[in-house]
Amino acid sequence: MTPRRALRRLMTAIAETPAIGIAIAGLLLVASLELAYHNEGQARADKIRSVTVQARILAASLAGPLAFNDQTAIHEYLDALRASPEFNAVGAYDENGRLVDGFSRLSEPLPERNQVAEPIVQGDEIIVTSPVTQNGASLGSVYIGAATERWSRRATRYLGIAIVVVMACLLVAVLTAFYASVSAANRRLQAEIASREEAEEALRQAQKMEAMGQLTGGVAHDFNNLLMVASSGMELLDRTTDPVRRERLKDGIRQAIERGAKLTQQLLTFARRSPLSPEVVEVGERIQALRDLLERSLREDVKVEFEFATGLWPIEVDPSQFDVAVLNIAINARDAMPEGGRIKIAAHNYPAGGSTTRDMVRVSIRDSGAGIAPELMEKVFEPFFTTKSVGSGTGLGLSQVYGFVRSSGGVVKIESVVGQGTTVFLFFPRSSQTLPRADVQADRLRHAEHDATVLVAEDDEHVAELVAEMLRELGYKSRRGATAAETLRLLEETGPFDLVLSDMIMPGKMNGLELAQEVVRREPGMPVVLMTGYSEAAASAAAEGFPLLVKPYTIEAMGEVLGHALHQ
Amino acid sequence: MAHIGLSVALLASLAATGGPVRGPQPIEYAVKASYLYKFAPFVQWPSAAFDTPTAPLSICIAGSDPFGPALSEAVRGQRVNGHPIVVRRVEAVRPGLTCQILYVGGEDTGAALQAVAHEPVLTVTDHMRSGAGGMIQFVMVAGHVRFSIDQAAAQGSGIAISSKLLGLAVSVTR
Repeated sequence: MTPRRALRRLMTAIAETPAIGIAIAGLLLVASLELAYHNEGQARADKIRSVTVQARILAASLAGPLAFNDQTAIHEYLDALRASPEFNAVGAYDENGRLVDGFSRLSEPLPERNQVAEPIVQGDEIIVTSPVTQNGASLGSVYIGAATERWSRRATRYLGIAIVVVMACLLVAVLTAFYASVSAANRRLQAEIASREEAEEALRQAQKMEAMGQLTGGVAHDFNNLLMVASSGMELLDRTTDPVRRERLKDGIRQAIERGAKLTQQLLTFARRSPLSPEVVEVGERIQALRDLLERSLREDVKVEFEFATGLWPIEVDPSQFDVAVLNIAINARDAMPEGGRIKIAAHNYPAGGSTTRDMVRVSIRDSGAGIAPELMEKVFEPFFTTKSVGSGTGLGLSQVYGFVRSSGGVVKIESVVGQGTTVFLFFPRSSQTLPRADVQADRLRHAEHDATVLVAEDDEHVAELVAEMLRELGYKSRRGATAAETLRLLEETGPFDLVLSDMIMPGKMNGLELAQEVVRREPGMPVVLMTGYSEAAASAAAEGFPLLVKPYTIEAMGEVLGHALHQ
Repeated sequence: MAHIGLSVALLASLAATGGPVRGPQPIEYAVKASYLYKFAPFVQWPSAAFDTPTAPLSICIAGSDPFGPALSEAVRGQRVNGHPIVVRRVEAVRPGLTCQILYVGGEDTGAALQAVAHEPVLTVTDHMRSGAGGMIQFVMVAGHVRFSIDQAAAQGSGIAISSKLLGLAVSVTR
């Protein structure tokens, strides 16, 4: 455990125990008691000072009367002090310390003899003595016993403050206890949120996999057909010499391979574990791109129609989740039509007003299936709710749709009439951002004259040959290195090269990504394009900022990516 | 006007500190003796009256001595403004006498007072024993020892008397 983590855990532990608050409250209490004690001492010292001053004044006044034994004057002076209730006992003594006159309000009489000493405190009484002197001659002394403030009066004086202090202590203690419990609850909540986020992420992936599963049957069937076309085409190619027929067969094979590649690519993209990342998309284009996958994953007896209004507003959604949602609804529609039927996917702008307060784009997917019974309508979006038989559906499809649309700020509605069909409406809020426009220069670049030399790093002999052929076709010259080391050597010795094209998975110590980084380190500004068939590798290449050719790719795609990289 | 009484306690104290009193002493002389040295702290002499700051403050008794050894005993160890108090008996009063307080009794009181008239000497007389009055004169009022003060004479000799003392006098001549 690092010191920082230890510190954080300590802080958490402190925050979650009320002990610190109680300690603070205790300290506050002790401090106020100490302050009260100090104040009390201060008040007593003040009192002693004031009584001492009184004693000195009395002593000065009594100098003459004591020296010349003027009883009347002594009595008058003492009587003046009797008027104040604070003096319990006052006495005047001659130079030999004998009592001359005085009074005592207490049960104890005045002492017969007086000795001048420092002020003393006896219980509630302060006793102060003062010598009576005149020009250095000692003429006698005085004695004053004064009452300190009564306990009840002192208590009353402190009561207000005491109440405030005690309330403050209680408040601190209560608040800290409250804070401790809240902070513990907060930590639990944070943990719960984190685990819930994890679960949601897992659910999204599971929903995607569910859709994948639904797709696989159709795709496998389709792949079989494509393979059939390819293999029988090859066989037929061997048996005929008619150039027209051979051309037609080659065309068929090429188309089959292209379709297969496209399908695999779509499946790979689809299956990629990716965090939610909203992009601005145009619904029509997005669904059109999904067309192949849709048509193949549905049965032949299900006809798909599209109807997109022109000028659709852009929306901001996670594209792969959008695809999954559309596929999920389409698959549900297919399953609702065991006898076959039609699915109509449409998209329209849905301006604010009426039921919505903001501009929306409405995607509707209508089928001519069995419909949903009214009593089941409320349940269809619940996870794991399914009307399908065991093994043919997990019930995660529509819950994915619901979750996705809600997280995109949209609304899902279902209209269904039993026996006539179901329509699912997806409403997405209009995005204020504009669509990223595809580069219109691509076409021009592809056909531009190239006089560039490409250094290819590719370990597979056959692929390398094919790549070289494609490069030649595009008008590039090329050299090939079979390993990263060889490629670097070629770069050093036989240059100059205009671009490096490398496979990501390479034998040897250095893989394609590391090779690309090394090339850029050695020759900054050298464009490097990476090729891969793995989506994970593709992600790391994209993270490093290298342009990417995803296998299998067409010659057009290669021309576009290379042209782009060269002209940047 | 303050009433000056005679307390048994005061007498007892005099008897205690003054040691054995020889022969029958009229009680009023014991009181007068104690008053005599108690005037000192209430009186301010010009600085020329003392040779040094610690020079003794002399109480001189001229003529017959009515106090006996009681006075000497009473002033033992007493100091006023740093001056120790001493009691001296003088036979004849002449100018230049180094006394701060002069008690004069008997027939030639007037001549004695005349002799120190312009010197910083606090003169004390007893009404019962002489016609002429000093700066302070003992009088008996209703059986109690009291005194009157001639403040004008004191001022003429450069002596200041505290208001505390003036306040206790039966009468004050200004």
